[in-house]
Amino acid sequence: MRGTLVFAGSSCPELTDKICQNLGMARADAELTQFSNGETSVRILTSVREKDVFVVQSGSDKINDTIMELLIMISACKGGSANKITAVLPYFPYSRQSKKKSHRGAITARLLANLMDVAGVKHVVTVDLHASQMQGFFKCPVDNLHAEPLIARWIRRNVPEWQEAVVVSKNAGGTKRVTSLADALKLNFGMVTTDKRRGPSMAPSVIGYSLDGLERHPVLDAISNQVRNTTLSDSENGNPATNNGRSQDSRAAADVQGSPRLRANGTHSRNPANHKTPPSRSQTILSQSSVIDELDEEAEADELEYNDRRAHEVTHGRLVQGHVVPDDFPSSAASVADTSVPEEDPMAMSHASSFFGPQPHALGGSGDAGESSDEEDDLRNPKVEHMITLVGDVKDRTVLIVDDMIDKPGSWIAAAETVVKRGRAKKVYCIATHGVFGGDCLEQMQACDCIDTIVVTNSHPISEDKARNASKLVVLDLSFLLAEAIRRNHYGESMSPLFQHVMD
Amino acid sequence: MSAEMANEIKLISGRSHPELSEKIAKRLGIEVARTISLNYSNQETSFTVGESVRDEDVFIVQSTATGDVNEGLMELLIMISACRTASARRITAVIPNFPYARQDKKDKSRAPISARLVANMLQTAGANHIVTVDLHASQVSFFSVPVDNLYAEPSFLRYIRENFKTEDCVIVSPDAGGAKRATSIADHLNTAFALIHKERPRPNVVGRMVLVGNVEDKIAILVDDMADTCGTLVKAAAVLKENGAKSVLALVTHGILSGNAIETLNSSVLEALVVTNTVPLGDKVERCPKLRVIDISPTLAEAIRRTHNGESVSYLFNHAPV
Repeated sequence: MRGTLVFAGSSCPELTDKICQNLGMARADAELTQFSNGETSVRILTSVREKDVFVVQSGSDKINDTIMELLIMISACKGGSANKITAVLPYFPYSRQSKKKSHRGAITARLLANLMDVAGVKHVVTVDLHASQMQGFFKCPVDNLHAEPLIARWIRRNVPEWQEAVVVSKNAGGTKRVTSLADALKLNFGMVTTDKRRGPSMAPSVIGYSLDGLERHPVLDAISNQVRNTTLSDSENGNPATNNGRSQDSRAAADVQGSPRLRANGTHSRNPANHKTPPSRSQTILSQSSVIDELDEEAEADELEYNDRRAHEVTHGRLVQGHVVPDDFPSSAASVADTSVPEEDPMAMSHASSFFGPQPHALGGSGDAGESSDEEDDLRNPKVEHMITLVGDVKDRTVLIVDDMIDKPGSWIAAAETVVKRGRAKKVYCIATHGVFGGDCLEQMQACDCIDTIVVTNSHPISEDKARNASKLVVLDLSFLLAEAIRRNHYGESMSPLFQHVMD
Repeated sequence: MSAEMANEIKLISGRSHPELSEKIAKRLGIEVARTISLNYSNQETSFTVGESVRDEDVFIVQSTATGDVNEGLMELLIMISACRTASARRITAVIPNFPYARQDKKDKSRAPISARLVANMLQTAGANHIVTVDLHASQVSFFSVPVDNLYAEPSFLRYIRENFKTEDCVIVSPDAGGAKRATSIADHLNTAFALIHKERPRPNVVGRMVLVGNVEDKIAILVDDMADTCGTLVKAAAVLKENGAKSVLALVTHGILSGNAIETLNSSVLEALVVTNTVPLGDKVERCPKLRVIDISPTLAEAIRRTHNGESVSYLFNHAPV
């Protein structure tokens, strides 16, 4: 393209080369080094005067170096009289720190937006921001592209019997993103949610709240207690919760389906013949995802106000140290605080908010995607036992667990184990846009028996060493999407077609 | 002011140089504020202030550790931003060793002026005031907020007076750019002055050197603002020795000492390298017997105290508090 230069940051030369290939041009020349004291040095080796400059930079293991490099590159291009500088950030760094999670924490994503602004960026192109509200942090226009059409197309082409698959969100915060994919593929939808288990009397069932907003059936409380009793007594035979839960659930379902509210919601086209999966359930959850979001945040308050109630197809499991355990597993939370594993897990120490408040999300009011993948941290805490709840029927089906990024493995493994061990899913695909894979995440997911395939895009570079040993890993190429965004930006064309699903 | 009133000094320390922060806090008779700084598994920095900073006068001390410049800088920006959102009354960034100080001009086509970028970034994050040591005057003007640029010179003067007879000394500038700094010290000590002219083909590479002035049978004291790979200093020391200097030592504000600096120093004719503790030195003092450290924390602490109380800082330009 005439008058355009595409520069690559040191984090993603391969992706940039692919983008340039799509655009039919060569990557512009820049020398990126570090001085011996660790300061970043940038030399732009070609004239940028009056050019339309695109700087592509993703994340890396040295994320702060990557950011400084991007800022200095932008600054250098600005100083070199570039006409317009666009930052192309397939993975937006610090996007998870987009709100004040704890008292006196920083909103680093906003800081980064301001820093890029001061460096001289005039336009930002990014993919699947963790929280779409972040677009408001910028003074300049932001194009938040979606990898969803790409992922949907991959699913349609590569997942056997994808029409029968169930899309599952691994936490309440990510439901919006997941319902969107479920809608696009016209699939059923489920959800996994974890709760801290604070005592034996508490039966956390988040989804229950969303269903009994209008009327309450004291009868059902009895049933839910019954379920609990049978579950506990039958614990010897390995997988009791689903079996016993099911017979009880059918009673519950009959009752719930009698409610006029659900009938109003209960119109769904797929799987009319499947009795065990009244599609109304999925649809109900789907339409109430925003309610669930709020409920998740206010779960503690709600527990005091509402009765516990089990909805149909709700499966519970116990999660100790990030793994689903049988029901007869010795309980640490219920008996004495921490007899089982006294050792301190470093994973639990890795989050600031867990130091200052027991409810890290108490201040987060957006109810958007913000929470997902933030709640990883005390999954590994040996002192806290979690109740993991699966909503939706996944029995003998393929499950697609979807979120925006894979960084830590804990919640993915917990969700995968839940759908397989408790929900008896046939196959599990873990799907995310950004494969950040911090630490030994990829190794752990590769080692997890319950995960069959891991699907990410190349928005975040994955080191070859890691990828070579991960036979389950599938990496989708984003370069066409980004190249098209660059081309359309340069020629002033509309971006909208890039958001649409292409049926083929 | 009573202790209950708001607007006290809150000293916040970054992770790059906690020892310096502790020394400053001790000198001020306060505690370093409780904070939590950590890196996520993907190396993103996270920072939380553990106590209220609402309406307080916040001083954030962050140096830049050699090799981890960007890490320290990003952490500083995040710390400033966190205090800003936590309603601090004023945020002063105490940056003893200003990062990217050398990239302050467009010396080549399309070279970035990174020092100006850093200045803008600090202001964007929300810094109201900057305290630093031996920054070039040209960079002070990158800021639109007040900058207190302190000098290590008074500390150096005291060191020379305490350790040498001033009439035996000659102050040497290792390059033409540092002549002003060297003459200022020479004037204060009333000693002779010399200058080494050098050709520098590329950064961190030293070319031919020519001595201007007489150092015969004198203690030659090289004075500079930073010692990075130490190539310049060591070559200058050799030139001084060749020209008959009795012994050669170097007084440098910022001991960055990257790359093979320690090995270069150990095998050099340089008798001693005296640096301030603006930059964390880690185990370098143990690895290099020639390395001596002057504590700069009294100057920084006094600057913080005076800034907080609204007193003049100019006293510190000529006097080093003990």
